[in-house]
Amino acid sequence: MPRNLFRCWIRVRGVTLPLFSLAFNLSKNLPTKMTGTDQSSFLGRISIRRNQVNAMEGYHEQEIEDLELFQKQLSDRFAELLSAPDDAPTEAFLSISWIRKLVDVFLCCETECKAILLMERDAAQISKPPLDRLIPELLERVVKAMDICNAVTNGLELVRHCQKLAEIAVSALEQKPFGEGQARRAKKALVSLMSAMHVDDKESSVQKTAERSWSFGRRSGNKDRHHGHYRSLSWQVAKHWSASKQIHAMTMNLAAPRGPEASCLPAPVYILSLIIVFVMWVLIAAIPCQERSGLTTHLPINKHVNWTHSLASIHDKIGEEWKKKEKKGMAGLLYEMQKMEKLGQSLIEFTDSYQFPGEKEKLDEVAAQVAELAEVCRRMDEGLVPLQMLIREAFHRLVRNRTEFLDVLEQGGPVV
Amino acid sequence: MDGCQSGVPTYEGDLHVVAAAHHIVKALGATKNLSDDLRKILIDLDSHLSMITSNIDSKGGRGLVDVEERLDQAERKIMRWETDPMMIWDSGPKEASDYLEAVDETGKLVDGLRGLSVHENRKQKEILHRAMNILQMAMSRLEEELIHILVRHGQQFEPKHMYSRSIRKDIVYDESFISVEDEPIKETSSRNYSNDESGECIVDLVHADVIPDIKSIAKVMFTSNYGPEFCEALISVQKEALEQYFSFLGTENLSIEDVLKMEWTCLSSKMNKWTWSMKIIVRVYLASEKQLCDQVLGGLGSVSSYCFLEISKATILCLLNFGEAVAMGPHRPEKLLRLLDMYETLACLLRDIDTLFSEEAGSFIQLQFHELLERLGESAIAAFEAFRVAISSNGSLYPFAGGGVHPLNKYVMNYIRMFPEYCNTLNLLLKNQHPGVADQVTEPDYGLDASLLTSCPMAYHLRSITSCLESNLHKKSQLYKDEALQHIFLMNNIHYLVQKVKGSELRLFFGDEWIRKHNAMFQQHAMNYERATWSSVVSFLKDDNPGSSSMSKSTFKERCKGFSVAFEEVYKTQTSWSIPDPELREDLRISTSLKVVLAYRTFLGRNLAYTDDKCVKHTVEHVENSLLDLFEGSSRSLRNSRRW
Repeated sequence: MPRNLFRCWIRVRGVTLPLFSLAFNLSKNLPTKMTGTDQSSFLGRISIRRNQVNAMEGYHEQEIEDLELFQKQLSDRFAELLSAPDDAPTEAFLSISWIRKLVDVFLCCETECKAILLMERDAAQISKPPLDRLIPELLERVVKAMDICNAVTNGLELVRHCQKLAEIAVSALEQKPFGEGQARRAKKALVSLMSAMHVDDKESSVQKTAERSWSFGRRSGNKDRHHGHYRSLSWQVAKHWSASKQIHAMTMNLAAPRGPEASCLPAPVYILSLIIVFVMWVLIAAIPCQERSGLTTHLPINKHVNWTHSLASIHDKIGEEWKKKEKKGMAGLLYEMQKMEKLGQSLIEFTDSYQFPGEKEKLDEVAAQVAELAEVCRRMDEGLVPLQMLIREAFHRLVRNRTEFLDVLEQGGPVV
Repeated sequence: MDGCQSGVPTYEGDLHVVAAAHHIVKALGATKNLSDDLRKILIDLDSHLSMITSNIDSKGGRGLVDVEERLDQAERKIMRWETDPMMIWDSGPKEASDYLEAVDETGKLVDGLRGLSVHENRKQKEILHRAMNILQMAMSRLEEELIHILVRHGQQFEPKHMYSRSIRKDIVYDESFISVEDEPIKETSSRNYSNDESGECIVDLVHADVIPDIKSIAKVMFTSNYGPEFCEALISVQKEALEQYFSFLGTENLSIEDVLKMEWTCLSSKMNKWTWSMKIIVRVYLASEKQLCDQVLGGLGSVSSYCFLEISKATILCLLNFGEAVAMGPHRPEKLLRLLDMYETLACLLRDIDTLFSEEAGSFIQLQFHELLERLGESAIAAFEAFRVAISSNGSLYPFAGGGVHPLNKYVMNYIRMFPEYCNTLNLLLKNQHPGVADQVTEPDYGLDASLLTSCPMAYHLRSITSCLESNLHKKSQLYKDEALQHIFLMNNIHYLVQKVKGSELRLFFGDEWIRKHNAMFQQHAMNYERATWSSVVSFLKDDNPGSSSMSKSTFKERCKGFSVAFEEVYKTQTSWSIPDPELREDLRISTSLKVVLAYRTFLGRNLAYTDDKCVKHTVEHVENSLLDLFEGSSRSLRNSRRW
């Protein structure tokens, strides 16, 4: 079967879709079962169909069917994401592994949407109104999304930094015998961890908090230095760049197609745009990145179509969470970071009041917390690098995606 | 060890065995070429043994007291600095080594006390607890000292000394294709760096004198299991230093959106800067950083490469993202050479990158470099195609005044004159662009073998570019109503083409055959011009009756007048035409002269009888001199301005 499909890919002219290599990648790398086979059969279906019925009567009906099938799959995927437990040791809502799944879903949707839009498509079709406006708008969103991917990659560096500090704290707290020295060591790491986390993303406030975290002002030589390196130059995408403004700009003109447009080409353009905006929004909410203040909690999701139900629920859930936490200034909604924050605070309290040798009961309670923190570190250790690579993959995909659209547009008329 | 402790009866014997073992361990520890792992084991063993000694001693009541005394001593040394505003390593080597000794001693005591698995002895527990507190204080202090040393002795280096800042101020190809109407500046500075620039120079990012200090701090922190703290401190300072250096180079973080919107001149200078910074950052800065990490953390397994990766990753990604943004931008022809610069830079840095990030954790960075290289290659090809398309589609509504060398021609020829410098890269990239050529390619490096150079992919593409250019020029020539001017235009332009090829390395790629053919071509246009302009003029001077000696006076008058009018007409139009090349202009005048002046002289000579008549408006000399005014590019009239 795959062999046949492969052949039918080769036959597809016009658009280069590295779908098969992708399908292999997916089946190899993805933890989720929903991607690999489903996708290749869906794409195969479109491809075969397009080859058979191209320029024939009934083409439009076939397209509508394709679109419906696509929306059904979307709906399933987001439902699965929505069903993740709120608090679980693994695969929790907004956990690293959940975010990885989300990005996987994004990559799949992106490929499929592009297939629907471009495969075997006459270039003239996508360069006439309203697509001559919608596609360039989509491509602008794509460019903004690339920058967001880079901002998030920087943010993941901060998360990794937190992980390292937490690991120090864990190793100090696990020491046997445990004494005040180890308590102080743990506290030092935890205080650094908290201040690394508790920066709001504004450039101005960066230095103050960061300085506190290293607090080396005591000796003259270090007074003017702050070691907020995870908040320094490389943290920035660019001067004055703002993640929340990017999201805001991406939602401009993002409106669900109405009437007859809802069942033809504007529909997949809208779907792809919405998913890009949505996924980027979630990434920004979850992972610290440059200037998130004022992040909107409202995305223009059309709730009157079936496939958006789960997506809208995820959106509402995260939006609520964001509103609750935003004021406090925090590291993001990432499950592991939240967990780390809570455990960190509690452990700081413990180290603050600790006196050798400590009460047995308290020590047992702390041991449990330490074990939990160690588990969070372990999950970060496992998940962060792959997530970072996946985000980079998404970045590259957006780059390719844009090129393909531009190529097709170039064939079909005035270049954007 | 438990055996030792329980063996009370042989107290004396134990003491001897332990003492002997201790002695051996100490002797072994003094051996030089030990691996760090082994050394650590010996040190541990050493402290265990000294503990045992004191423990055995304690049976005699003295042991713990001894340990406590040692700890007191170390504590005094360590605590004294807690209130001192000075940094230890600033205070002198003696202070530093005393401090390290005290820390080392404390560490040994902690290890020893721990190794003894003391269940019951409360006193021992207390001492251990105290020792660990002191150790924590010292470690915290060492971390501070480390940061202080790194910051204080961190060294900036001037990029100038490393690489000549070889930005090629080459206005010709910096110009955007659209502004092709402007006169390009002819002098182009050539590239003053080449790719085999192997001048890998490593500098001391931190003063060499303090490296042993840092190493000794690393050693004691790692021995006491404070390695992660050491790494975080090192990473934080060095990462920030790299970022500062990055902005010192004048490179700033730009979003992809910014890059895509950037104007060409600005983008061009940023691309230049990128090429330059990339080299310095990778070849000098990162190579030096790697050395620093290895010097300080060598022998600690993957710690060194972990720190190096953490320090450099963010900056590298930042540089790569700019490259990505450039590669995805619109493929404009003027971008080609800059893209090739970037491509070549990356290509020649790949080996460095693969070495710097050889560990598994760094493979991510390696991969990103390879991907970007590929992308830049694709982008360069696309820009190359865009260049070709731009040449073909460069349209004009009006004929180019004077028939001189068209700006498009100048732009294109000055631009492609730079190509031979990128020969190997272009061959590599263009190899697959034309199936017919790819087959011929066997040798990737075409060297200077002339016969091979003309058949390399680049040569093929160069010729295809000039043929695009030629056909566009033909199209442009059709805009002239005057056939003679069409020929002047083509003659000028093809002559220019040939001159540019002959006068540069391009000739090696175009080959003699091409040059011969094109020489013939412009000469043909010169002849066609003469025919188109002068045949009708000279026809007045033709002898209709070669047999008879002279013509009738009225015929002569008529012919004379006809000639004058026609000549004046030609003079008036063709003084405004232009042949920019002086030699070519001279050649054409001579050959015109030969034809026209000779015919006129013959004509007048044959009709000497009538030459006094007023009807002979121009003397032979007048005609000859007037011909010198042609093609100077400023219109004149013989009727209004009688110079003679």
